[in-house]
Amino acid sequence: MDEKKAAILGEIPRLRRYARSLLRDRDAADDLVQDCLERALVRLDNWQTGESPRRWLFTIMHHLFIDQMRKVNRRGEAAMLPLEAGEAVAQPAEQVESIASREIIDALQAISPDRRAALVMVAIEGFSYAEAANILGVPAGTLMSRIARGREELRGLLDDTARRRAIRIVEK
Amino acid sequence: MIRRDFSERDIHMALDGELPSDERAAYDAWLDANPEMKAKSARFTADRTALRAAFAGVLDEAVPARLRKVVLGEAPVKAAVPSSRWWLAAAAAVLLVAGGLGGYLAGVDGMGQEDPAEDRLAEQAIAAHVIYAAEKRHAVEVPASDKDHLQTWLSNRIGLKLVAPDLTANGFQLVGGRLLPAGENKAAMLLYEDDKGERISLFVTAESAENAKGTYIAAQDGPEAVYWLDKGYGCAVVGSLPREQLAVVAKSAYGQLLAGLAS
Repeated sequence: MDEKKAAILGEIPRLRRYARSLLRDRDAADDLVQDCLERALVRLDNWQTGESPRRWLFTIMHHLFIDQMRKVNRRGEAAMLPLEAGEAVAQPAEQVESIASREIIDALQAISPDRRAALVMVAIEGFSYAEAANILGVPAGTLMSRIARGREELRGLLDDTARRRAIRIVEK
Repeated sequence: MIRRDFSERDIHMALDGELPSDERAAYDAWLDANPEMKAKSARFTADRTALRAAFAGVLDEAVPARLRKVVLGEAPVKAAVPSSRWWLAAAAAVLLVAGGLGGYLAGVDGMGQEDPAEDRLAEQAIAAHVIYAAEKRHAVEVPASDKDHLQTWLSNRIGLKLVAPDLTANGFQLVGGRLLPAGENKAAMLLYEDDKGERISLFVTAESAENAKGTYIAAQDGPEAVYWLDKGYGCAVVGSLPREQLAVVAKSAYGQLLAGLAS
C-alpha cells in the first residue's frame, strides 16, 4: 500500500469524529466521510507532498458538508431534517450516551452549521485558529467570531435545557 | 510585562490556546478581578470538556469496512451503498418542503448567499437534455464512431481537455456529442444510451465561477441533474433514472472526467 493511502486510512477515525459532530446520525456521518474519501482519492494528485493529510482531508470534507448545508438551507428550512431523521434511529448499544452528552450533542446540532463547524474544529479537533481558518476558508476574525458566538449559543441552549428540567422537577 | 485590557474575546483565546504565554499572568489576574468573567470562563471550559467527552468514543470505534475499502480500492465502490445518501436524503427532504413553498426561502445566518451558478449550469444541462435526448436521428452532431475527433473538437471548442467517460460498466454506451451555447460560454454535451434506449447526457463547460462547488439539483418533473462546479469547470449529468442510480452513474462520469482533465 502506498504511503498516501496509509496516511489517509490513519485519518479516518478523526474524520468520523468530525462528521459525527456535524451530522448527528451515525450512518449519515459515515456517508459524508465516504464521499470525502472518494473525492480525496480522485484528487490524490492535488495533495502536495509535505501538506498534512489531516488538513487536506478536513478541507475536502468541510466543503462537502458546507456546500450541502448551503444548498439545503436556501431551498427551505429543511436543514435540520436529516438530523431529526437521525434522532429517530435507535442508538446502537455501544453508543449509550450520558444525559450530559446527549444534551450537549443536541445543543450542538441546534446551532448554525457555520458556528458548529468552527467550534468543533478548534474545541474538539484541536486545530489552531490559523489552521481552522485555513480549512474553513474564512479570515481569522470571522473564525473567532463564529467560535465566540457558537460557544455563547451552545451555553444558552444548555441553560434553557437545564431550566426546563428544573421546571419539570418543580412541577412534580 | 505587557499591560493591556482584556475582554471576553480573550476568554476564548485562552481556552483555545491562542493567548500569548507572556500575557497569561495578566489575563489570570484580570479573571480574578472580574468574577463574572471568571464564571464565564469556567462555564466555557466545562462545556468544552463535555463536548470532548461526548465525541471521544468515536475515535475508539472500529472503522467501518466500507470506508477502508474506499481507500484501499478493494471493493466496487459503487456497489452496495450509494454513499451520497446523506445529501440525497437532505435534498429529498428539501424537495418536499420546496414543493410547498415555491422552491425558495431565504437562508439563515450567513448560509443563504445566493449562488446561482450551479442553478444556471443545471438548468442549461436539463434544457439541452430535454431537447436533444428526445431526438432520434439528430441527437448528436458527431457520432461515437468518430470518438477521437469528437473529443478533440469539443476539447478545443470549450477549452478543456475532454475525455468521454466510459460508462459501459453502468450499462451506458456513448452515442455521440455536440457543441452548445452555455450563457456566454460554450458547453460540450455527450449523450449516452443503455440497451433499453434510456438516455443520459453529460454537460461540461469551462465554468469560470471560482469556488462554487455545488452538488445537486432536481427539477420536480422531468429529468434530474447531478452536478459539480469546481475551479475552471462545471459538469452536470442529466437523466430520468432512479435517483440513486443517477448518482452512481454521475459519480463514475465525474471521476473519469476529472482524471481526463488532468491527463
